Amino acid sequence: MQPDNGSYMIAGYIVVGTIYLVYALSLILRARDVRKG
Amino acid sequence: MTLNLGPGHAVIRRGLVLTVLGLVGVAALMVLALAYTPVEARQGLAQKIFYVHVPSATVLLWIAMPLTGLLSMLYLWLRDLRFDRLAAATAEVGTVFCLAVLATGPIWARPIWGTWWTWDGRLTLTLFLFFLLLGYHTLRASLRDPVERGRFSAVISIMGVVLVPFIHLSVYLWRGLHPQPIILKPSAPSLPPEMLRTLLVGFGVFILLFAGMVTLRYGIQLVRDAREAADAA
Repeated sequence: MQPDNGSYMIAGYIVVGTIYLVYALSLILRARDVRKG
Repeated sequence: MTLNLGPGHAVIRRGLVLTVLGLVGVAALMVLALAYTPVEARQGLAQKIFYVHVPSATVLLWIAMPLTGLLSMLYLWLRDLRFDRLAAATAEVGTVFCLAVLATGPIWARPIWGTWWTWDGRLTLTLFLFFLLLGYHTLRASLRDPVERGRFSAVISIMGVVLVPFIHLSVYLWRGLHPQPIILKPSAPSLPPEMLRTLLVGFGVFILLFAGMVTLRYGIQLVRDAREAADAA
């Protein structure tokens, strides 16, 4: 029988998604700022 | 006075497109892992963290760090600021990948090993690499002279690259909980075909995301430097 640990998978995906998304957003905002000058 | 910021803007546009494609790719990878990849019998659903953890670690150790080291060496040799700019971009994105590896590892470890963290060789050296990268960014932020900043930070990044083979070999050198490589090893990959397919998609997606973020970060620095040069003139 498989262990019941799906919540860890969901937590892992949320954490990794948040890290990359937040960094991408920070880059996009920085790009917008430098383009505006 | 008109500013010539053309190349930087074009690089930013390219980086934006690649980054968005990379993020969409990560979302698609998660769907592929969840819906179209079998559940590992012993580890259960938590094993699916593998499809984001391993590609992030592979891009960090085998693309981001070697590239940062190579660009830093080229800067030390040729003193061309473009290499330093690009090295700073690959190091910054590499730090984000390192954070993703360090965050997902414990979430996977808790249900499988029964602990969030252990001072295993690979985990400890990866944490050490993360602190070294933080030191790299702190040093860069504290130095105003671009030549001095490039020279000092290049030395730190090369020290980071020296850690990479130790991180890779740590699972062979020291007894610990972290499993041995299943892809980057002399024999054939020890993974069922459906899992291997998802993992290979993961490699492609995270390479694309890395390329997009580095391009975007490099473009931002190009425009910044062009503005500073124009202001100084």
